[in-house]
Amino acid sequence: MQPNLSAMIDVIFLLLIYFVTTANFTPDEGALTVKLPQGTGKTTQDLTLPQRPLNIVLSPAGEVECRIRIEGYPQAPAGFAELATLLVQLQYDPERGRSSGAFKPDSPVVIRPKAGVRWQHVANAFNAAVRARYTNINFAQVSK
Amino acid sequence: MPSQIFHRGPTTPQMNITPLIDVVFLLIIFFMLVNNIISEQSVQMIVPQLDEPTTRELLDDSGRIIVNIAPAEYAHSERQGNPLLFDGEARFIRVGLQTFAADDLDGVTAALVEAKEAFPDAEVVLRSDGALYYGVVQPVMGAITRAGIDTINLVAFMPERGAATIQIGE
Repeated sequence: MQPNLSAMIDVIFLLLIYFVTTANFTPDEGALTVKLPQGTGKTTQDLTLPQRPLNIVLSPAGEVECRIRIEGYPQAPAGFAELATLLVQLQYDPERGRSSGAFKPDSPVVIRPKAGVRWQHVANAFNAAVRARYTNINFAQVSK
Repeated sequence: MPSQIFHRGPTTPQMNITPLIDVVFLLIIFFMLVNNIISEQSVQMIVPQLDEPTTRELLDDSGRIIVNIAPAEYAHSERQGNPLLFDGEARFIRVGLQTFAADDLDGVTAALVEAKEAFPDAEVVLRSDGALYYGVVQPVMGAITRAGIDTINLVAFMPERGAATIQIGE
């Protein structure tokens, strides 16, 4: 006796479609929380804070890459992991055993990308500053 | 003489449940797909990929207002290699389900003011493609600021499971 295969195939295809549509192939997205600058009608204010800000300057290099520089410091980090390490070295936080640096964890950190820098690098610089445990991180207006 | 028809005695009727299962599964798939399309506030893009990300989980759909900055249209295969090797200009901006031209920043501000009135507790999420130029994203952050919002959440890929998350701010 021949079992009726077509009905079974029907159901198996349905199950296949079900699992294909429910599967999630893209990696999960997460959030980085940012405090926006507040104040006058201007988009961002020029910083007139008593503390010296730590400026991270990003400029485009080639089609997709970018150059990282910390204003006033000659070493240029090659990547964002190196930037995070450098930011830790520049931090003064005796509670965490960081006594070499000149910037407190709540010193303003300003990320200053040029207009042509890709967003991923900007987000990466922000992430590096968060990893180094700075709490007051801002984005500068576009500089040409 | 027993009749030919009731030769084996009365037959118990058997229900064929295969078509029933077919239809039920189809209905399940139909409603799942429809539900997905309705709740889809997201635009197709590749969000930034971070080195050792400190991202945390996003809230549910209802607790957030998503601002999407959409890149140019692309086929999945076009960005298989380096996703940053792509056009850096924005195609449009979408706030919730409202779509604005890439340069209509006043419209974005107005939509956010309205959304913030309707959902005061919602967090604002900025979802931008990793390949877009900072010169395109920064004015949008300016527009969000002008709507009186003081905290935004930048979307990036999540770390692999098990990594710690860090929250900034007081």
